[in-house]
Amino acid sequence: MIEALPIFLDALSFALILVLVASGLVIVFGMMGIINLAHGELFLLGAYTVVVAQGLGAPFWLAAALAPLVVGLAGLAIEFLLVRFVVHRPLDTILATWGLSIAIKQIVVLAFGPGSHSVAVPIDGAISMGGFTYPAYRIVLMAVATAVIAGAGYVLVRTRMGLLARAVIARPDTSASLGVNTGRVTQVSFAVGAGLAGLAGALVAPLISVDPQMGLGFLVPAFLAILVGGASSMTSLVAGGGLVGGLDSLLGGWVSPVLAQITIFVLAILVIRLRPGGLFPGRGRRP
Amino acid sequence: MNRVSPSFSAATAAVVFVALALVPVLDSGYWTGQATRYVLFGLFAMSLSLVWGRAGLLTFGHAVFFGIGGYGMASLTMGLFGDGTLWALLARPWVALPVSVAGAGLAAAALGWFLFWGRGVSGAYLAIITLSVAVIVEQAVRGIYALGGDNGLVGVPALGAWAADPFDPMPMYYAVLVTAAVVYVGLDRLLRSRVGTLLTAVSANPDRLGHFGYSVFSVRLGAFVLGAAIAGLAGAMFVATDGFASPSLIGFGLSAEVLIWVALGGRSIVLAAFLGAVAVRLSEAFLSGLLGGFWLLALGLVFMGSVVLLPQGLIATPMLWLNNRLSQGSTSKSRAAPGPANDGMV
Amino acid sequence: MYAPCISATALMLEFNDIQAGYGQLPVLRGVSLAIEKGTVLALMGRNGMGKTTLCKACNGLLATTAGSMRVDGEDVTGMPAFKIARRGLATVPQGRDVFEDFTVDANLSLGGPVPGAIYDWFPALASLRHRMAGTLSGGEQQMVAIGRALARKPKVLLLDEPSEGLQPSVIHEMGVVLRRVVDDVGLTILLVEQHVELVQALAGTVAFLADGVIAEQVPVSVLSDTLNDAEGPLHRHLCI
Repeated sequence: MIEALPIFLDALSFALILVLVASGLVIVFGMMGIINLAHGELFLLGAYTVVVAQGLGAPFWLAAALAPLVVGLAGLAIEFLLVRFVVHRPLDTILATWGLSIAIKQIVVLAFGPGSHSVAVPIDGAISMGGFTYPAYRIVLMAVATAVIAGAGYVLVRTRMGLLARAVIARPDTSASLGVNTGRVTQVSFAVGAGLAGLAGALVAPLISVDPQMGLGFLVPAFLAILVGGASSMTSLVAGGGLVGGLDSLLGGWVSPVLAQITIFVLAILVIRLRPGGLFPGRGRRP
Repeated sequence: MNRVSPSFSAATAAVVFVALALVPVLDSGYWTGQATRYVLFGLFAMSLSLVWGRAGLLTFGHAVFFGIGGYGMASLTMGLFGDGTLWALLARPWVALPVSVAGAGLAAAALGWFLFWGRGVSGAYLAIITLSVAVIVEQAVRGIYALGGDNGLVGVPALGAWAADPFDPMPMYYAVLVTAAVVYVGLDRLLRSRVGTLLTAVSANPDRLGHFGYSVFSVRLGAFVLGAAIAGLAGAMFVATDGFASPSLIGFGLSAEVLIWVALGGRSIVLAAFLGAVAVRLSEAFLSGLLGGFWLLALGLVFMGSVVLLPQGLIATPMLWLNNRLSQGSTSKSRAAPGPANDGMV
Repeated sequence: MYAPCISATALMLEFNDIQAGYGQLPVLRGVSLAIEKGTVLALMGRNGMGKTTLCKACNGLLATTAGSMRVDGEDVTGMPAFKIARRGLATVPQGRDVFEDFTVDANLSLGGPVPGAIYDWFPALASLRHRMAGTLSGGEQQMVAIGRALARKPKVLLLDEPSEGLQPSVIHEMGVVLRRVVDDVGLTILLVEQHVELVQALAGTVAFLADGVIAEQVPVSVLSDTLNDAEGPLHRHLCI
């Protein structure tokens, strides 16, 4: 049984990263009713921020702290320059953000080349537990991701900012008539969602090959996590991310990655048809 | 007004198809071969214009059906299923073609049935579900050894001995062009009939359509299946032209590309969607060498701009403008002759 | 502290020839209204005449195509909803629209810190503070909606059919409390209503919206006197 622990830890770390990536999508979907298909590229930009920093000789943790700020600013720019013009046409927003994702990917290819880069793992060595060892960096990654997710949840539920965000998600018109600047709240939320994706990208960079196509590989599981868990709250998202990330990792390791994807997808489709709000619906937007 | 009049449509289509028929006069070798592929992509784009532009179903997985048509054609004509008499019959290209098309349609019927019954999935959720389908199907196909894995199936026979000369692409080109023209006329007539009105209604106001006693589910499913069948037809003929079926024809990449063609050309006007595909592929042929990596960037930016500023499409918008100018001119002439309230415009 | 509303201008809310509609469909065709400080104007009219449209035009949720609007003398025409709210207009929307997944406390504080006066006017709210708003009864939710609006210390309160879905005793209570608030702090109210008794209890003037314009405006005494009169304004405009 102890031998299975590394696999479970792998699954857990993937699930946590998924939740970080997906929370940005959920915030934007809940608040604006749109899907940002360039979200995977925000994740990508976070990873490349670390690549740049490494090239400049900066320490990893500085880059990882900067990545959410850089990508958050990118998110603000995207909202201001593109999204707010199409937000009233949700399907066209999907397309427009897809066009943006093509553009961002290509800019990255032009700047860094189409190949992959590798980022050095900032913490070497492994922690031994029981009869085996597990990479120390992964443990730290999980701790950081958990802290950030918990922090985001806390802000959402216990601060005034979070209250305003949840109010705008639930009833934007009523919030506006109570003096809440819904436009500003939406902008900031978009940027925060982007920043979270950027942080996820930065944290994951040392573990996978950083290349311009890496966005999609995390975007699709993030979508599935949202479909399965529901888009209404942090808890439903954590549940969805846990389920999807866990299954993907476990099945992918034990059986095959393709079969894992198919299983999860079938699960997601079943959930979306039988329980349209996800496994933990709440009162958010529904399909 | 979102549509063009029947006469405008017929006139522009005639111009386009006649012009295309003259391509072999310019170059009966390389460019005729290229044009064959462009026309097939145009056919593919027309099918998406039906599903998305008219029925309002934004799908990021339409190439799955193109690919099913392609792989179906390839595996049947290459005899991958076995040697029995049944398979030998199915290996004949003219049998394999409709069977592949039917396969694509059936797959769409299954997926569509599941997605659309009851309250049905639509809008953004449909987009991301179909996106996921495309990604997963492509990965699955790449993993199937019998389908050639990453390399795909090489050595797909041509549609017949008449098309088998690798140095003479003209016969296949004309076959493809005639097919595209026939499908175009069929789709155009279909969309100007009551079916077209139903499709517009289901895309604009599905709830209200339900109250009138129409089944939103049937309309959506019907459009989805027909669109898939046409896509499968394009895919099957594409593979018979290329001699090669690859996983890139069945995945997310091509699905996203066809969306771009249709968005840029014009989603609600079938001919505009066709031209969108041809125009983008043609531009790519000339500009990607010139611009190198900047081609994709330019495409992404133009696509973004088109969606935001000219959502009807870069080709459809001037078509609509021209149509409206011309119909204003003729309205004053035809005032003496009252016609039916609906003059065929949908 | 909830200080009384002190204002130099006499007119708290003014509409001048407001036109608004949905797409090609005009609903308001030139509405003009003026409400004096500390008074209650009731707006009555048949369904479909544009009462809710007027509410949305008033609080900025619907853009007007012509005409102008002033709150406490300040031109707010064309301002987004949150800015009009910050200029002193608070809304109690039709159907209450409380945030079901928030506590009563969170609901009330959405607009800003909650003055203690709210609990004087609505003592029941004090004991409900930590309840989820979704679990409350209709009448309790209405208290939350009104309390939430009043927590912003507005100059003008806009109520869109507050009696809808409430039982008569609760409506009566609501009228009593609102009367108190008006007397206590000089609040100005635009009351969009169908419920005649509430109008009589609260309003000083009654205006009738028909065909997109204000067809008639009478003091509430005239309304009461002609309640059953077939020629009276109530019958003519509401076909009651």
